Amino acid sequence: MDSLIPFTTSGSLVDCVDRKMLVVLRDGRKLQGVLRSYDQFANLVLEDTVERIYHQDVFAEMKRGLYLIRGENVVLLGEIDLDQEDDVPLRQVDWETLEPYHLKEIADKKQRDELKASILFEKRGFCKEGGEGDGY
Amino acid sequence: MLIFSVFKTLTDQRVTVELKNDLSITGVLKSVDQFLNIRLDNIKVLDEARHPHMMAVKNCFIRGSVVRYVQLPAENVDTQLLEDATRREAVSQAKR
Amino acid sequence: MDTSSAIQEPFDLIRLSLSERVFVKLRGDRELTGVLHAYDGHMNLILSDVEETILIVEQAEDAAENTVNMAKRKMDMLFVRGDGVILVSPPAR
Repeated sequence: MDSLIPFTTSGSLVDCVDRKMLVVLRDGRKLQGVLRSYDQFANLVLEDTVERIYHQDVFAEMKRGLYLIRGENVVLLGEIDLDQEDDVPLRQVDWETLEPYHLKEIADKKQRDELKASILFEKRGFCKEGGEGDGY
Repeated sequence: MLIFSVFKTLTDQRVTVELKNDLSITGVLKSVDQFLNIRLDNIKVLDEARHPHMMAVKNCFIRGSVVRYVQLPAENVDTQLLEDATRREAVSQAKR
Repeated sequence: MDTSSAIQEPFDLIRLSLSERVFVKLRGDRELTGVLHAYDGHMNLILSDVEETILIVEQAEDAAENTVNMAKRKMDMLFVRGDGVILVSPPAR
């Protein structure tokens, strides 16, 4: 009988411990850090965490330290391939420089989504629901 | 349990997972758990330019609750078996 | 109409649609039609021969000219997570 270990959350994540991981959160944030611990809810402990923001072909980083992340906010965990990381064709800039562009992108998207919801409401009678799942 | 069992039979197949935030990822299904969390290896992100943060990622763990769809290889799914199992599961659910 | 005593609760109705084409309305302005092969208590579904319709909004300069368009997509075999499902029904005749 094949081992059932891969079919548990613990089994899936055990070889990610002590590795540099990308964590994407439901609010759209992208964090990178070393995964130190997890549990069956995908609650995570991430050490030396860095938050990254992206805009076109440019990115910026901000050190955030030690995080305990509640599992319900996690979208995905990615294993960062340290070789491929050097090949990524993006330029790094200061956080203060990039942040306004990043915030504007978020605000624009929010405005587009609100406009879309109100048009669908007017034209098709679609209710302004909270969104899928918990909406993010 | 039924859907969990279906996914277990599809390990090592290439699937496409579409998330609720519109990110679509193709990869080899390596494992799944009772919450339908998914582990994919050798991933390729559709529309990579819109998701630059995924560029250096080859394997990932996807929380089940953020999945919208999983596109499955039709040839590896026995629909008759599925329907029979569903009927059985429905009956056992009703008896509870 | 069906008078079988087997229909006792809503899920029994869905059971009748197994291996039939169904219409599924999803959250996020999406709709599907497909052949139903499996479902569970969470309304997770497995469908084949699926056509997805997404509603897309086109904005015009003049707000009165805003239009709603549909984009369609076909997929062979699809798992649909139950928390996005609003309703399942036989296709409109």
